Amino acid sequence: MSAPATSIKGRAFGDHVLLALVILLSIVMIAPVLWVIGLSLKDNAELMADPNSVFHAPYTLKNYINTVGTSSVFIWVRNSIIVSGGLTLGTLILSSLAGYGFARLNFPGRDVLFVIVLFGLAVPEQAVLVARHQIFSMLKFHNTYQGLILPGLSAPFGVFLMTQYFKAIPKELDEAAMLDNASRLRIFWKVLLPLTLPAQATLGIFTFLGAWNDYFWPLISATRKDMFTLTVGMASTQTNFAQSEGIGFLMAQAVFAGAPILIVYLFFQKYIVTAVSGAAVR
Amino acid sequence: MTADIEIRNVSKQFGAMMVLDHLSLSIRAREFIVFLGPSGCGKSTLLRMIAGLEAVDSGEIAINNERIDHLPPGKRGIAMVFQSYALYPHMTVRDNMAFGLANIGVPGKVIEARINEAARILEMPHLLDRKPGQLSGGQRQRVAIGRAIVKEPKAFLFDEPLSNLDAALRTRTRIELAQLHQRLQSTMIFVTHDQVEAMTLADRIVVMNNRKIDQIGTPMEIYERPATKFVAGFVGAPAMNFVDATLDRSGENATARFADGVSVQTEIASSQLTDGNYTFGIRSEDVRIVAAGQGNADGVVDVLERLGERTLIYARLGDGQQIVGSDSGNSRVAVGDRIGLAFDGQKSHLFNETGRAWHAREA
Repeated sequence: MSAPATSIKGRAFGDHVLLALVILLSIVMIAPVLWVIGLSLKDNAELMADPNSVFHAPYTLKNYINTVGTSSVFIWVRNSIIVSGGLTLGTLILSSLAGYGFARLNFPGRDVLFVIVLFGLAVPEQAVLVARHQIFSMLKFHNTYQGLILPGLSAPFGVFLMTQYFKAIPKELDEAAMLDNASRLRIFWKVLLPLTLPAQATLGIFTFLGAWNDYFWPLISATRKDMFTLTVGMASTQTNFAQSEGIGFLMAQAVFAGAPILIVYLFFQKYIVTAVSGAAVR
Repeated sequence: MTADIEIRNVSKQFGAMMVLDHLSLSIRAREFIVFLGPSGCGKSTLLRMIAGLEAVDSGEIAINNERIDHLPPGKRGIAMVFQSYALYPHMTVRDNMAFGLANIGVPGKVIEARINEAARILEMPHLLDRKPGQLSGGQRQRVAIGRAIVKEPKAFLFDEPLSNLDAALRTRTRIELAQLHQRLQSTMIFVTHDQVEAMTLADRIVVMNNRKIDQIGTPMEIYERPATKFVAGFVGAPAMNFVDATLDRSGENATARFADGVSVQTEIASSQLTDGNYTFGIRSEDVRIVAAGQGNADGVVDVLERLGERTLIYARLGDGQQIVGSDSGNSRVAVGDRIGLAFDGQKSHLFNETGRAWHAREA
């Protein structure tokens, strides 16, 4: 019986090492967040005199009051919500329809078209940037929401993901629904689409987070301050106001900026974990 | 509701592969008909063509004298139970059953009444608010049948619906299906490769092989007077014994002679037969075990299979061919024994090189 005992001991030791590693990684992840929150609660002048003052009182809400009163951060948050939400919704609709089409419909050139769509995964955004910029200029799409949303709607990953997911759903369900006198649209809407919810959640979360954190295209397309998304707006603040308005104010804005994504995380925690672990994609 | 189903000269090809070749069949109203055959013989394809899930390349399918092969599946007035049950996983049992009725605009009260009636028939009222994931295999099976019943179809189609059940549940469900047929008096078409299911359920069996129908008949016709060697070998467990033979047609009835000199007097009229190579066929229950030297042939016992009510005895003849005979359940025969095998000439069959069968005159 000694062998199993050793094995259990060994496992317990391994578990402890793993736990220590997880704690360490958590600290690495959480410490900057706590640091940001701490700085946001300190007076700018005090921080300039002593950055380590974050570890002791007095704390103040002055930076938050100033943010609410003077900063454009709310406009940027609103813009980011509209862009990220619109992009997510659009991507889910288009990817689902395209995925259903590629998985279930027989039409000439389907396989070639699918390969072409997948090629989109290999094209870096930078390669099409100039052309896209020109086209959007001609269409007068810069500094508009559609200008910020449209490029993201070409989502080859989403199409691929949804195609694979639809393919994994047994065709007997379509056939049973056909025998139940359901139209193709009704089969899609009532039978198949609800079954793709895990994939929709995965795609939706990744798309939302990607759009929320996107900096490159909004930097080019949104040149007016009132059309900045959060990432561009925050960057502009750092460039122009960090020294004058102070680090505490900057951090208060960062907390505002991070709040919506934190709320998204709290609501969709289960799906995010599933999505990141890849368990939803089978 | 019930239906006569007429299949006329139907063919189906997948690419270059012919799956069904000019096949015709009449199914009578209220009949329980079973398509029986090995994998790839085209039985499921034929069922799916009746359902409208596969297009008909040529030929016609009619229900109650109305062509339906151009209609979409939902307009044919039939219901199908799939091998995998194909229940909608995100819907409750009730919603699964209601879905098809809602699609054709049946009023809510009527839907509810039909669901309750089907649930009562299938003894599953307590399952109505569960989702398929919360049900056992047998319960899912019931729901799939319930979903078909509520539609009050002209005909029920079953595509190997018992194959996912364990042996005990399969037997029970088989009996329940037979009772359901008696109760509903509806036309039912059942696809299976399991000959026990076919024999126990069918009014008539359609034995399919290699894109064609080999025989249509009642279970006992199929069993006792198989039309071809394939049918004889496919139906019945253990499979029919086959021994290469030459024929002596000098008498009124033919005598089959095996390679090792054994001869069996059949009751098959010599006048029906022509020259050529034949295969002698006989079922295990028509081969009695007797003392060595007392039967048509002697053999050495290879294997015993004790089935309780009888014992199957696999004996090797002098020329190496194996014959399965049947003895009582408490047979004293042991492996290695030398035994005699007595063939019942009245129950013997002959098959020519093309597989066509001849049988003893009917009594």
